[in-house]
Amino acid sequence: MALLTLLPVPLIAALVQLTACHFRPLSRRTVEAVHLASIALVLVLSLLTVRGVAVHGPVTALGHWLHVDALGAVFLALIGVVGFLTGLYSIAYMRHDLAHGEVDDRKLGVYYGFFSLFLFTMLLVVTANNIIMMWVAVEATTLGSAFLVALYGKRSSLEAAWKYLVICTVGVAFGLYGTVLVYANVAAAPVGIEGAAFWTVLLQHADVLDPTLAKIAFVFVLVGFGTKAGLFPMHAWLPDAHSEAPSPTSALLSAVLLNCALFIVIRFDILVSKAVGPAFPHMLLLGLGVLSLAVAALFVVVQRDLKRLLAYSSVENMGLIAIALGIGGPLGVMAALLHTVNHSLAKALLFCGSGNILMKYGTRDLDTVKGVLRVAPVSGVLLMAGALALGGMPPFNVFVSEFLTVTAGIDAGYGWLMIVCLVLLTVVLAAFVRMIAGSILGASPPTVAKGDVGPLALAPMAVLLVMMLIMGVRVPAPVAGLLREASAIVLATEGSDALALRMPWQNATTVTLAEPVDAGRPTCSPNALRRTEIEDHACSNRY
Amino acid sequence: MHGIQLVNALAGLLVITSLLVIEAKKPATSAILYALQSSVLVLVFLALAATTRAHELYVWSGTAFVTKVVLVPVIMYRALGSLHDPATPEGGLGATRALLLAAAVVVLSFLAVSSVQLPAIAELKPALAISLAHFFLGLTCIVTQRNILKQIFGYCLMENGSHLTLALMAPKAPEIVEIGIATDAIFAVIIMVVIGTRIFRTLGTLDSRQLTELKG
Repeated sequence: MALLTLLPVPLIAALVQLTACHFRPLSRRTVEAVHLASIALVLVLSLLTVRGVAVHGPVTALGHWLHVDALGAVFLALIGVVGFLTGLYSIAYMRHDLAHGEVDDRKLGVYYGFFSLFLFTMLLVVTANNIIMMWVAVEATTLGSAFLVALYGKRSSLEAAWKYLVICTVGVAFGLYGTVLVYANVAAAPVGIEGAAFWTVLLQHADVLDPTLAKIAFVFVLVGFGTKAGLFPMHAWLPDAHSEAPSPTSALLSAVLLNCALFIVIRFDILVSKAVGPAFPHMLLLGLGVLSLAVAALFVVVQRDLKRLLAYSSVENMGLIAIALGIGGPLGVMAALLHTVNHSLAKALLFCGSGNILMKYGTRDLDTVKGVLRVAPVSGVLLMAGALALGGMPPFNVFVSEFLTVTAGIDAGYGWLMIVCLVLLTVVLAAFVRMIAGSILGASPPTVAKGDVGPLALAPMAVLLVMMLIMGVRVPAPVAGLLREASAIVLATEGSDALALRMPWQNATTVTLAEPVDAGRPTCSPNALRRTEIEDHACSNRY
Repeated sequence: MHGIQLVNALAGLLVITSLLVIEAKKPATSAILYALQSSVLVLVFLALAATTRAHELYVWSGTAFVTKVVLVPVIMYRALGSLHDPATPEGGLGATRALLLAAAVVVLSFLAVSSVQLPAIAELKPALAISLAHFFLGLTCIVTQRNILKQIFGYCLMENGSHLTLALMAPKAPEIVEIGIATDAIFAVIIMVVIGTRIFRTLGTLDSRQLTELKG
C-alpha cells in the first residue's frame, strides 16, 4: 500500500535529522542524502497513491483513519510534486546559505528536519479521514513550519514567526470549534451513528445536521481554516511569514500549505451545502474571496519587496479560488480546482526565482535589484515567464483557470462582479509587468558579479515552467480526468455533473465526452445534456 | 443530577481562575495559577466522566493532568525564570474592567448557547456557555496583553476552553483524537516559549508592541 508507506517516510526522515542535529550535526552530504531520499520517496509514493485513486477509486487505510478520494488526490499530488521540486531547490539554496555563513551545520540539519516534518503534517491533512485528526494535522503544520520561518534568527524573521504562530494557532482554534460542532451534532443524532468523526460517515449523514448549527459551524470553519489559507481579513500573518522564510520554504508555504487549508474549507463546504444548501456557504466564500482579491491587488501594486509582493499575490489567488468556489456549478468548481493546481506551480516557480535573486543580489528590494536578465540570464527568463504567467498571460496555465473563473461567473449571473474582478486582475498584471520592467530588464549594477546560479537551482524551476506551459496549452488526460472526478465530489451535493476539462482551442470531437462520474446517475440524464450545453456556451463565450 | 450541577459549578470556577491568570502581576504567579485552573479542568472532566459514564473521559483527565497541570506550568515557570523584562509594560485591562468584560462575555456566551438544540447537552448548557466564554477570555488576554509570555497564557486559556467544549460535546470521541489535540497544545506552548526566548535574546524585550519591523 503506497498510502501506508507514504506517511512514515518524511516523519522518519524528520526524526533522524532532528535527533542527529540535537546530539552531533551530521555532515552536509549525509543530511542532503537523507533529505533527497525522503522527498524522492514522497514524490513516488504520493503519485502511486494518486494513480491508485484514479484507477481503482478512493483508497482507505488504517481502519478508515486514512482516506484519499479524487479531491484529496489532487492536493496529494501537489504536495508530492511541489514538495519534491522545492526540496530539490532547497539543496542548492541551503548550500549557498551555508557557504555564506547564513546558517551553520546544525541549522542545516534543523532546516531539513523541519522540512520533512512540515511535509509529513501536510500529507496528514489531506489523507486524514477523521475530521478532528484533520484539525490536529493543520495545527501541526503551523508548529512544523514556525521554525522554518524563524530559521535565520534575525529580528524580522523572529517577529514573523511569532505573528505566524499566534495568529494561526488562534485562528485554527476557531476551526476546532467548527469541527467539534459538526461532529457533536451528527454524533448526537437519534438514529445513533457509528464513527461520526469520520469524514466518509459524516458525508452520508449530512442530512441529520441541524441547519442553524451547520451554518454556525461553517462560519467557525471558514474563519479558522480561512486564517490558514490566507483569506482577508485573517491574512495578516501571511506576508510576513512568507517573506521571512528561506525561499524554498516560502514556496512550500505558499504553493502547498495554503491549499491544504483550502482543502478543509472545501470539505466542509461540501458537507454544509448538503445540509443547508449551497447558498449560504457560497455567499460567504464569494464575499471573502472578492475582499481578498481586492485588498491583495492593492497591496501587490505598492510592494517594493519581491517576496512580499509574491506573498500578497498568494492572498489574491486564494481569493480567486474562493470566488470560483462561491460561484459554484460545474464551471466554477472546475475553475477553482484548476486554479489551485495552476497557482501552486506558478508560485513555487516564482518563490524559487526570488531565491535566485537573493543568492545573486543578497536583497529582495526591487529598487536595488536591477537587470537580472543580464546578470543571470536563465533565472531572468524563468522569472519573467513565471511572472507573466502568474499575471494571467497566455499561453500559460493561470490564464486558463482565471478565464474559466470569469466565464463561470458570467454564466452564473455575476457579470458586474466579474468586471470588477477583471479590473483587479489587470492591476495585478500591471504590478508584475512593472516588476519585470524595473528589475529583470534594464542595466545591471556593476557590483553584482555576472553568472547564473547552479543547475541544481535552475532545473526544478525549468521543470515547473514546462509543467505550467503544458497545463496552459493542453491539460494532460490523467490530470483532466482526476480534476473532473474531484469536481464531481464537490458537485455531488448540488445535483449537477462535473465538466470535462477542455481548452477553448481543443476541438470537441477530439475529446471524448466523458461519462458522468457518478455511477448511480444515468448517462443521458437531463443534467448531462445541460452540462454539454454549458460547455458549448462557455466555449462560445471565448470567441 | 448532582453530578451535572457539580460540572456546571466547577466550570464557573474556571472563569474565576482564568481571570486570576490574566490579571496576575507576575508571569511566574500566572504559571502557578494556570496549574490551579487546569486542576479545576481535570476535576470537571472527572465529574463529567462519572456523570455521563463516558469512560474515555478518564483518559482525558489523565492526559490533561500530565500536560496541563504539570508540563505546561513547569515549562512556563522555568522559561519565566530566565526571561525577566521589567521594562515591558503590564498591559492588560485592570481588575475592574477585566471583571466587567468577563461578565459580558459570559452573558453573551449564555445567549449564544441557549439557541443550541442538542439533547445530549441540554443540562450542561451552563458549562458549555462557560467553555465558550473561556475561549474568548483567552483571546482577550492575547489581544490586550503586551508581554508575549502573557500572550502564551492567553493561548493556553483558549485551549482549555475548547478542550472543555470538546469534552462536553464529544465525550465519546476516540482517545487518540484527544491525545492528538493535547500533543498539539503542548508542542504549541514549547514552540512559543522557544521563539519567545529567542525574541528576548535578540531584541532584548518581551513587549509585543516592539515587534514592528514588518509592515505593509
